[in-house]
Amino acid sequence: MGKIMMINASPRAPKSNSKEYAKLFAQYFSSETEYCEVKKSNHLMLCQKTENFSDILFVFPLYADSLPVTLLNFLKTLEVNPPQRKPTISVLVNCGFIEPEQNNIAVEMLRLYCTTNGYPFGSVLKIGSGEAILTTPFRIFLKAKIKKFAASIKTQKYDTFQVTMPISKKMFIRASDVYWEKYGKKNGVTKEEMKTMKIEE
Amino acid sequence: MNLIVSDRNLAVFQENHPSIKFVDLSILNIANCVGCFGCWTKTPGKCVIRDDAVKVYPLIAASEQILYVSKIKYGGYDTIMKTMLERNIPVQQAFIRLFQGETHHVQRNVAAKKAVIIGYGDISAEEQKIFCRLVERNAKNMSFESYSVKFVSENEVEDAVRNEVAIWEK
Ligand SMILES: Cc1cc2nc3c(=O)[nH]c(=O)nc-3n(C[C@H](O)[C@H](O)[C@H](O)COP(=O)(O)O)c2cc1C
Repeated sequence: MGKIMMINASPRAPKSNSKEYAKLFAQYFSSETEYCEVKKSNHLMLCQKTENFSDILFVFPLYADSLPVTLLNFLKTLEVNPPQRKPTISVLVNCGFIEPEQNNIAVEMLRLYCTTNGYPFGSVLKIGSGEAILTTPFRIFLKAKIKKFAASIKTQKYDTFQVTMPISKKMFIRASDVYWEKYGKKNGVTKEEMKTMKIEE
Repeated sequence: MNLIVSDRNLAVFQENHPSIKFVDLSILNIANCVGCFGCWTKTPGKCVIRDDAVKVYPLIAASEQILYVSKIKYGGYDTIMKTMLERNIPVQQAFIRLFQGETHHVQRNVAAKKAVIIGYGDISAEEQKIFCRLVERNAKNMSFESYSVKFVSENEVEDAVRNEVAIWEK
């Protein structure tokens, strides 16, 4: 294989968890990588660029149980502006909830996209607790999985991997309460205020 | 409340259906969610982007019967509907609970709803399968107590909507 193009399709790419995941991937991937972010105005440039790569890695968050609109729109552009040589497409998806399986639909959508549009499908890494895991000691499990994932692409022994925080769901909920309470506090918003049941009132 | 959220204009919108509220997303100005979590941690229950979406998610939350009409793309909702669904997260809290054995967000004042989803377009069997699984997952995050999914071609949409409206108005 040659070079891999990492395409971050998070709507908040410059400040995203996906960016951190892509950074870790680049650390563990022993061939050349290039990092790009999907913006509203750069779709065509990215499509042209795919021409120079043997592999693409889409890095993105799960949004409403599927692909974020940022990625959906880019895929639509790529469909009408495809490269002549189709790179192998791999997937690194993260979701906020603890269950990495919640990412399955997004993966299936991309797999179908690849089949329909003639791209070989590569490896998959599904991350659960993706909003939190980077800042916890469980980061080591994440790194180990990213390493394996990267090696599978490098050696073209494509496979599916998943990782999450190895704690009970109850503990995850408690930890996320603390996380979000702190997040609100930084904005001067109390836990009670965050718990309002009102919508636009 | 009975609500129809559609990604296209529908002739049935032109008629009088006093018990049903229609939202045609295609004529609204709705930007995409930027994942700032402002609606959970800055102005809870309100999106910081003050465009037309802020008029739609309170209606979705209040509805007891809802009909989504969306074009299908790659086994999911096409851009117009998906953009709105992503902008719908102010109806949830940041806080997480255990729901049907999985972690999900606590909902604010969101009515439990009966949902019908009409997916239209030229939809392959594979796409239909993925879409059904997607709606099964949506159900947990979007307070569907029951739902059904219908697939139709583009020119069958009006009839399919009329059928659902007739059932609601019976
Ligand atoms: C609009 C929106 C929808 C989301 N939907 C889901 C979801 O359905 N399931 C889930 O587990 N996490 C969901 N999340 C959480 C994100 O996947 C999570 O915060 C992720 O870490 C964001 O990654 P990023 O920083 O790379 O964008 C959603 C977040 C937003 C803003």
